[in-house]
Amino acid sequence: MYYLIILLVYLAVDAIACLGLSQQFGVAGVTNFGFIIFQAAGAYVAAVLALPPDTADGGFQTYLGGYHLPFPVPWLGAALAGGVLALPFTFLVGRRLRGDFAAVGLLVTAVLLNLLVMNYRPLFNGDAGVSLVPAPLQSGMFVGTSNGYQIGFGIAGLVAVAAVYWFLRRITESPYGRTLRAMRDNDKVADSLGKNLLVLRTGALVTGGAIAGLSGALLVSFIGVWSPAAWSYAETIVLFTAVIIGGAGNHLGAVLGAVLVPVGFEEITRFISNNNPSLPPNLLPSLQWVAIGLLIAIFLWLRPQGVLPERKRVIRPRAAAGQPGPAAGPDRRRPVAGSAVMLAADGVRKDFGGVHAVAGVSLSVARGTMTGLIGPNGAGKSTLLSLLAGTEKVSAGRISYAGQDITTLPAYRRARLGLVRTFQLASEFKRLTVTENLLSAVPGHRGDSFTGALLGRRYWRGDETAAIDRAYALIEKFGLTAQANDYAGELSGGQRRLVEIMRALMVEPDLLLLDEPMAGVHPELARRIGRTLAELCQQGLTILMVEHELAIMDEFCEPVIVMADGQVLAQGTMAQLRDRSEVVEAYLVG
Amino acid sequence: MSVLVAAVGFGLITSAVLAISAVGFTLQFAVTDVLNLAFAAVMTAGAFFAYLVNQSGVPIWGAVVAAMAAGAVLSAALNYLVYSPFQRRGSAPITLVIVSLGMALIVEFGTAAIVGGVNVSYTMSQGRTIHLGGLILTTVQLAIIAISLAVMAGVYGLLRYTKLGKAMRATAANRMLARNCGIKATQVIAITWALTGALCGLAGAVFAIDVGSFNPSSTDIFLILILAAVFLGGPGNAYGAMLGALVIGLVTEVSAAYISPDYKYVAAFVVLLAMLAIRPAGLLGART
Amino acid sequence: MSAEPILIATGVTAGYGADPVIREISVRAAPAQVISVVGPNGSGKSTLLKAIVGVLRITAGQVWIGGQNVTNAAPEQLARAGVGYVPQVDDVFAPLTVKENLEMGGYLLPRGELAGRIEHVVTVFPRLGGMLRRPAGKLSGGERKMLAMGRVLMLAPSVFLLDEPTASLAPAIARSLLEQQVASLAQAGAAVLIVEQRARAVLAVSDFTYVLGGGRLHMSGTPAELSASPAFIASFLGGPPISPQRGGFRGVVPPGQHRA
Repeated sequence: MYYLIILLVYLAVDAIACLGLSQQFGVAGVTNFGFIIFQAAGAYVAAVLALPPDTADGGFQTYLGGYHLPFPVPWLGAALAGGVLALPFTFLVGRRLRGDFAAVGLLVTAVLLNLLVMNYRPLFNGDAGVSLVPAPLQSGMFVGTSNGYQIGFGIAGLVAVAAVYWFLRRITESPYGRTLRAMRDNDKVADSLGKNLLVLRTGALVTGGAIAGLSGALLVSFIGVWSPAAWSYAETIVLFTAVIIGGAGNHLGAVLGAVLVPVGFEEITRFISNNNPSLPPNLLPSLQWVAIGLLIAIFLWLRPQGVLPERKRVIRPRAAAGQPGPAAGPDRRRPVAGSAVMLAADGVRKDFGGVHAVAGVSLSVARGTMTGLIGPNGAGKSTLLSLLAGTEKVSAGRISYAGQDITTLPAYRRARLGLVRTFQLASEFKRLTVTENLLSAVPGHRGDSFTGALLGRRYWRGDETAAIDRAYALIEKFGLTAQANDYAGELSGGQRRLVEIMRALMVEPDLLLLDEPMAGVHPELARRIGRTLAELCQQGLTILMVEHELAIMDEFCEPVIVMADGQVLAQGTMAQLRDRSEVVEAYLVG
Repeated sequence: MSVLVAAVGFGLITSAVLAISAVGFTLQFAVTDVLNLAFAAVMTAGAFFAYLVNQSGVPIWGAVVAAMAAGAVLSAALNYLVYSPFQRRGSAPITLVIVSLGMALIVEFGTAAIVGGVNVSYTMSQGRTIHLGGLILTTVQLAIIAISLAVMAGVYGLLRYTKLGKAMRATAANRMLARNCGIKATQVIAITWALTGALCGLAGAVFAIDVGSFNPSSTDIFLILILAAVFLGGPGNAYGAMLGALVIGLVTEVSAAYISPDYKYVAAFVVLLAMLAIRPAGLLGART
Repeated sequence: MSAEPILIATGVTAGYGADPVIREISVRAAPAQVISVVGPNGSGKSTLLKAIVGVLRITAGQVWIGGQNVTNAAPEQLARAGVGYVPQVDDVFAPLTVKENLEMGGYLLPRGELAGRIEHVVTVFPRLGGMLRRPAGKLSGGERKMLAMGRVLMLAPSVFLLDEPTASLAPAIARSLLEQQVASLAQAGAAVLIVEQRARAVLAVSDFTYVLGGGRLHMSGTPAELSASPAFIASFLGGPPISPQRGGFRGVVPPGQHRA
């Protein structure tokens, strides 16, 4: 009985730790090789908050703190410590550093901190560690066999696991969780959609750190001792193995992983060593580590998604079949005051070194038109698009949008005004469904923040339902209803293009800049996309499209602007342009 | 002053050992884009293989050669059996790093399982001591420095003057273009792993000689120094690794003399984090 | 003078993933000829070269070079078979010096020949001679392209595959590259298959031209035939829908024959 309780408590500790790690690694895509130091921080803080001043008991140990605080303060302090410890590491997980480099930085930190604590005795009693840590609600250290207390502790552990599980589910099954997963799948695109990567990753580090701290508090309160030997950097690897085997990104998988690896593994080892007492003492622990290493490699090779893979979030439209949403439909146009000219460029230039990519372009795009931008390679079309969208800065000239000068506005500010662009290269979130891809683009969603997620479904349900309606209306319009709940990564190339366009439309732009939307798309599908876009233009959307598929230009675009050598060559319908010799020459000269 | 000189002396030896390992590590990264965190573990395996050979009667420098062979075989096997298959599958760099951690466990604790966890030492003489203007070094320590210098010269010569070395640099820079030139990239990569594996084994044996008494976990901390040297010079840049080794080795030992031996690795740690935060491409830029 | 084609690609279908980018394309090139492949963007020109040279997987069709079946052969094997490929981007080893780049180009050469070949390449591209010690990454766009061409020249391949060599060059330099260097490659006896955006310019130096569109072969013919054809112009500018003609404008006329 006693033994089972111990097992249960260890399981609770490991489950909580694995849940925290799964959240960081599986959901947010932050690889924290130093995870164990957060658990250690929690354990130490819980210990020194609960311990009496270090002069007590004959003063055989030295440590900071010693405030002899009652439960639950040490546990709360532990969680806080774990969270706060994460903050200095935000520089490692910001935008610029490669994921594997950042992970190595955290690993090294874990090794170093262990060394520091081991050598600097005044901190936490160095190598010997702290001991005689009082158990919660008991005056002295937890010894003895009071069954009731132990069972109570075990139950408390399970309650803690349930609480952490509930907390993480609430965070993850929300628009905020969706944003985390989007960041995990493709951080550059998430960034371009306006998600603040630094804040999101810091949040993931802090959340995971706090949870790890809590697990440390639980452990140290139960066993009463804590020393550097308990938190070597290799312990993080054990937890990673557990999370990978159980299923990264699946919270039940994290708990399963805890059952299988730290607990199950230990038990098997104990069984073997009990039945083979003559083995050299060092052999089994070493083989344990070898087995962990093998397990990591085998699982990452055969079943990287783990025993319980991340579940697909299936989102269904509202029962009212085929009805476009209320005012929140994609057909709602925000009337832009007055202007018939949506976008105007005046003498815009862009130089890269000595090359004049765009050499003085003036054009205007009228509201409600689908304007084409064509020209041979190297004509400067993509550069011009980037200048108009704000992803590149002009070297000279002015750009105005609905009468407002936006020349110096960065891209995300222009997006907020309704000027949105798509990109050429694949930019869908592979492990989000089509619907989720669309929903991830909604700006200002109430549920798309940590506090919003915490406040729960009731808080953000309104925004979500409206967004789902809009998303489904778009999906139906573009004919992807059958794939609405498929992972975007499983779609064909042309379908992924559609997702990209629909996602841009989710933010309800007034002017859409499309960069080769039909590239690699089947002609039938291309025509369907063209027709849908034309409908949207009739309802007030303005589109400027760079394309090479001139058949599309023929059918849908008017006017069409031709660029060559960084300048505007001519403008008109395709038929008119074909008759102009300088246009023909530009294409043939290349 | 003599404290400083002695620290510099120690620093030079640390730098010497570090240079061999850092160059090996960075070349592995350059040609395969894998941060092989099992490097320190392979050093250990090499050191212990040398120990077993040494215990069976072979003099120490012969055992060192054995360590090189062990390192080469082990590293080539790691690439062939593990890293290459994962890369062919298109695994993300972070997956490769996690796998390399797993390999580190297998190699380090596999060694521990075979040889036991106690501290051992080579059977060798420390040689005479030599006084070099304030520095007091044993002939063994001088030999280590000499070996390191030879290795650096050898690597430099290899990369700059030999066909293989240039093929390695070409493969590191643009693998597909290298193949278009007729270079068998898979072969070059396999040879790189074997060569750098030999360096790794050598570094392990030399590390063990320098440290005197060692166990399977002795090289764990050394990995930090290697990473600091590599990132200081620029990941993938062999000359950067040499420069980084010199700086880190000296800084480590000098800070140990003036602050405290227990915290000597802190300096390396700070350097590494600073490089990652400010200039991940390193001082000399990445990739030779 | 009709020569047997040294490069024969038949019915090649290839792409990057599940969906093929090019379908059933057949081209030929004989020694001492410049064969160009033109077409609007996205028509699959680069993909065709990458498929031939082994960078992309061919899912249907075959490629023969000098009588040897090299379909889906590794790039190294194609180099051994005497194929020199200049990609459009990433065409030099940036951290290596100009001389080292050339040495890599001559990797398959016996040791004694290396110095001689480098000298020869430097006479073809004199500017390279003054930059032998400079890292390739520090060259200008035009110089890099010259180096890329020089690198391929080292092996004296019998087949040159050039992917838009004039892409980043100013028009005057582009014309000179095509009219002098590219033409001279053919004059020396090699077969040159060149993909280009600048249709007019490359037609001027071509013996035969294939026109791609939408991943398929639209038409082919000599420069004279094509320039006079409204269908050719329409290929680039769209217009009344052109059904992809299997076999091309007058059938795929093997390069050598209509000269006879």
